[in-house]
Order: sequence, then C-alpha cells, then structure tokens
Amino acid sequence: MSLLRGRARKVEASIFTASMADIVFLLIVFFVLTYNVQVDRTQVNLPKTWVRKTVPKTAAYISITKDGVIRVSSGKEMSLPVGSDEEVVTFASNVVAETPNKAFVIKADKDTKYEHVDKVLDALKQAKARVIYLLSEQKTQGDSNQ
Amino acid sequence: MKLEKKKIESEIFTGSMADISFLLIIYFMVTSVFSATRGLDFALPKQSTSTPQIKQEDSIDVHVMQGGQIKVDGKPMTMDQILPYIASKLKENPDKPVILRTDPDATYNDMIQVFDLLRRAPDKIGMEIKTISIPTQREIQNVWALFGVQQ
Repeated sequence: MSLLRGRARKVEASIFTASMADIVFLLIVFFVLTYNVQVDRTQVNLPKTWVRKTVPKTAAYISITKDGVIRVSSGKEMSLPVGSDEEVVTFASNVVAETPNKAFVIKADKDTKYEHVDKVLDALKQAKARVIYLLSEQKTQGDSNQ
Repeated sequence: MKLEKKKIESEIFTGSMADISFLLIIYFMVTSVFSATRGLDFALPKQSTSTPQIKQEDSIDVHVMQGGQIKVDGKPMTMDQILPYIASKLKENPDKPVILRTDPDATYNDMIQVFDLLRRAPDKIGMEIKTISIPTQREIQNVWALFGVQQ
C-alpha cells in the first residue's frame, strides 16, 4: 500500500560551514596586524580641527580631563594620574632625558579650562620637549559653524 | 605468509581549532579600541644660548579671551576677519611671527580653533605663517616683569 502512496521526499536544510575556519583565521590575522596597545584610555571629548598630523606611535601621552585631572604615560606603560604640576615636569624631564626627540601628545578635553593645558605646556617647555601634538578629531563641513 | 604491519596513522586533532579561533576573535574585538591618532603639531624652539627677542610691534598678537572672543593687535575680530588682517601684515613682512595668547579662563577648544585657523593660512590666504608662538602664562608674566608691569 505504501508503494502506491509514494514516499515523501525529505529535503535536508544545512549551512555550509567548511569555509568558516578560513574566515575566522583571516579575521584573527587582521586583528593581530591592526592591534594597538592603547596606553591612555581616558575618556575625553577631543576638539575638532581641519589640520591633523599623524602622531608617532611611540609618543608620550598627557591627558587632561574636563575637570583638570592629568594622567601621564611615557608610551610604554599605562597612564597614571599625577597630583601636581611639578610631577608633570619631573615626568617630562625623565622622558626627554631618556629620548631627547620624543614627541608628546596632549589629549585634552575640549571643554577643559585653558589654564590646565597651559600648565602642561609650561611643564613641557621646562623639560625642553621639542615636538608636541594636540590630539584632535577630524572636522567636517557640518562642524564648521561650531 | 607475510604478517601485515599495523599502520599507525598520525594526525593532529583540529576539532577544537575553531573554538580557539573564535575565543581569540572575541578577545581582540573586546580589547581593540579605535583611537584618534592625529592632531595639530607644533615644534618648540630649540634651546640656544642666544634666544631671539621679539618686540611686540614686530609681531602679530592674537589674544583669545574667555567666551571665545578674539582680539588681534588689540582690535576685536571675528574668526573670518583674522586671516585677512594677518595677510595684510604678512605682505609688509612675510617673516612676521604670530603670538597666540589665551586667557586661563578660556576653554581649550577656543584656543585650538584659532590655532587651527592660523595653520590653515596657506590654504585660505595663500601665505604661510612661518612662526606661531604659544607663550605660557609664566612666560607672559616674565615678559611683563621685564617691563616692570605688575599684572
């Protein structure tokens, strides 16, 4: 009887996963090549500028939050907070003594008072730093009126 | 009659490779951060025994005040007026330095917008500002002290 009725044909659904390993390995290679150890993770709103130059990868970082909290990193280890302006001078002097042409990056919140940035600039001048970068984001036409 | 040698098949177990790879991807995705790596650069003057003294009348004084107001050589100006004024001065003396002073109570953004504008002079007015000096409050006070002015 069953032969007369005919058998229902089974349609098997499957996802082709053989190439998944290749894709995963390509993604790993991408991440390994582009991975950067970020020495300073202070959350700041950077100002926007048209002119932007690439910061050297080995630069020392000085971050300034909106409230004026300063953190420093020589570019090798994670940033640490500093308590006074003298500590910034000491830090910058040590970095310059070790590598005289070391670039310094100031990563300051756009809404911070300029006096905080002024103190850091003064410390870098006292330490005889040569090149300073003021970290910024790219300005676009939509930001031009800001 | 020959005895059949028992074949020992060597193989590397790769079944867990996909799991390890996915774990690595998750690690990299969580820890990688897209960070800003560009900014405005400026070089500080090299330390020399004979520091060139710039007289105020030989330079263009750009003063950024609280609230983002700007004075150039003592005259209030808008952002659009700064570069044409500087261009007229640079035509007389192309080496004229620009001194960018900022009040401590102004915001960092106020200062950096003016600095960015000065750096764009070649595109905007077709002339390069050869020297842009950013003196600190301590340096400004030292200069005033030289002239015997108490602030």
